[in-house]
Amino acid sequence: MPQPRTTVVRALATTISAALLLTACGAGSRTSSSTAAQVDCDFPAPSKATSVNVLAYNSSAIDPFTNTMVKSCSKNQVTVKHEPIDFAGQVQKTTATLAGDTGTYDVVETYGFIIPKYAGEQKLRPLDEYVAEFDQEYGLSDINKAMRQAMSYDGKLYGLPMQAQMYVMAYRKDVFESLGLKPPTTFAELRDVAGKIQQAGQIKYPVALPLLASSDIATAYDSALGSLGVDYVDATTMTPNFDKPEAAKAFDELRSLAPFMDPQVTTFDQPRVQQQMYNGSAAVAIMFSGRMNDLTQASNSKFSQQFGFAPPPSVAGGDVLYNTLSVDGWSIPTNAAADPKMLFEMIASSVSADASKASVPAAYPARDGIVTPGSSPYAEAAQVSIGKAPPAEPHPWTSRISNDTRTVVADVVLGNTPVAEGTAQMQQIAAKILAEYKK
Amino acid sequence: MRRREFLGLIAPSVLVMGGLLVLPLYRTVEWSLQRVNYGEAGTFVGLDNYSAALSDPRLGRAVLFTVGLTAVVVATLIVGGYLLAVMVNGLGRSKPFVLGFLLISYVVPNIVGATMFSWLFDANFGGVVNHLVSTLTGHEVLWFIDPWPNRLVIALDTIWFMLPFSMLVIIAGLQGVPAEVIEASRIDGASTFRTHWSVIIPSIRGVLGFVAIISIMDVLRTFDQLVPLSPQATQIGNESIMLYIYNVAFQDGGQQLGLGSAINVLLILLIVILLYPFIRGIAKEARQA
Repeated sequence: MPQPRTTVVRALATTISAALLLTACGAGSRTSSSTAAQVDCDFPAPSKATSVNVLAYNSSAIDPFTNTMVKSCSKNQVTVKHEPIDFAGQVQKTTATLAGDTGTYDVVETYGFIIPKYAGEQKLRPLDEYVAEFDQEYGLSDINKAMRQAMSYDGKLYGLPMQAQMYVMAYRKDVFESLGLKPPTTFAELRDVAGKIQQAGQIKYPVALPLLASSDIATAYDSALGSLGVDYVDATTMTPNFDKPEAAKAFDELRSLAPFMDPQVTTFDQPRVQQQMYNGSAAVAIMFSGRMNDLTQASNSKFSQQFGFAPPPSVAGGDVLYNTLSVDGWSIPTNAAADPKMLFEMIASSVSADASKASVPAAYPARDGIVTPGSSPYAEAAQVSIGKAPPAEPHPWTSRISNDTRTVVADVVLGNTPVAEGTAQMQQIAAKILAEYKK
Repeated sequence: MRRREFLGLIAPSVLVMGGLLVLPLYRTVEWSLQRVNYGEAGTFVGLDNYSAALSDPRLGRAVLFTVGLTAVVVATLIVGGYLLAVMVNGLGRSKPFVLGFLLISYVVPNIVGATMFSWLFDANFGGVVNHLVSTLTGHEVLWFIDPWPNRLVIALDTIWFMLPFSMLVIIAGLQGVPAEVIEASRIDGASTFRTHWSVIIPSIRGVLGFVAIISIMDVLRTFDQLVPLSPQATQIGNESIMLYIYNVAFQDGGQQLGLGSAINVLLILLIVILLYPFIRGIAKEARQA
């Protein structure tokens, strides 16, 4: 019979061994390095050992840039650290790390939508002087001018663009061919196509859109409004546009797709829409381009070879599509502890020409000439889509209005609130936010 | 025990309780009276946050949903936990294996368990339960957007997750009931039901009270399982108080920490009110012992 003391020692040893084994599994980079490229990252060694913490959400389009930075810049006494996190987590941690005099992160992933807010509050460091200094070394002039503009505020660059995402429409070629259908170019055509697929009886709910009521639905409404040629706010008079007829029409058009979508569509985020396409329960999906590469993987779906790609339709005809162009990039917080010049070299290396080439086809890099129509099955559609996206609204109030009106948008799309009442509520919410900026 | 020894022994507990309980509680009450942004000193706003919280109909709906869920789940946990405990307690050599098996749902992280649980009802991911119900009833149940089916899913998941805890504590209680007392009741001709109702249950009243207290506190703080189980919680009235606090205070980088703190203080008061009868009963029992 074992002595109690021996048992305790054995239990202790087992626990310590298990703990060591688990920590060993997580040592080094916490993200998959399969998408990492090895590129030049030539910063001078700091005088003492330094840790650089990177905040960036995980997705197949962002990971190549993050992993390249971790792999290529962890040297010279510097350890670049990145913990896996989802987008919602990144949003919260960005708010928290930028708040005080000191922050947890030295490099944060940002996007055009939030740049005006944080740049206006001086929470991000302007990057223009570093771009001028390292332009030659990292070929920064090749970064698309419009994307640099999207990451700028008040004439200064606050985020070094890495990649862009825009809506792309994925559809089942086999289903469309068997019914003699063409990819729709307007919402009216989308309804027509979806009706015919429904009538054919193969697919009950042919259209799949990410309309998650707690998140994606605000982007969907903004895309519909933008396609109708209207911004959230008239920036010259600083008055909200939710009292315009287009604000109501955007709701009507989104709701007109309801008969062709899963009744539970307002619980679907992008991964769930992907899942609908993977398992064949939908025939048309409109999502950000960063989700398209997953559709083409045979390991994800037996229909991987059957997916065709096209630009998203416009809501009511015209050149502006049902679309949102989102430019992602790297920013350096004003309160970052590490040397900003060294941090800039790190972010510049992660968007270098080699790193950008390695990110294709998962991402749509910000450098001109990297993506060609032959780069991926959806590259051509993405290129058309990016040129026909509604213009960005680079103002500090945009993200706040989007956030604060989201619940109302969800209630209107779900039919809980009449359209007229919903737009009136949104007008009121937006006017209250704008009043703060008029002071 | 010498005074120095006494102080040395309780000091770590006092420090931990002070740091992790008293200080956050003090800060929560302080912030509930302020307008607070991350990294900035708060501005005193009196009772404005309480006024804003109490005038928001979402809070009322969240309280109603949370209290209703707590009542149903706690009652099921006590009854179901007792029945399961009696069955498992009656097992022979297989008891440790059955116990270990039943504890799996309790050791799986709540968010992971809830995500897997949601797949049972989700046609996109196979949805075994959804398929069975649709086949048997001929109706497509909208588990995630219809309020009552969604409430059922949330309640079932919470019960699935917490039942092992309830069962485990009640088994410990059952093992403390003297065998001769049960034997005496049988000799007196008591039926099985009568033995449980009039002999065993009164003997483990304190244990059942403990299960109720812990379960009430846990279910009132329902949060993470709602992320996969009720993605549209706000719109269908299935937002728990904790989810409401999160949505108000933090979602999408929101910074209404003052308002969130005020709702937190109201939640603490609600927990105290709901636990009062149980705490009083246990204290009374302790005094009598």
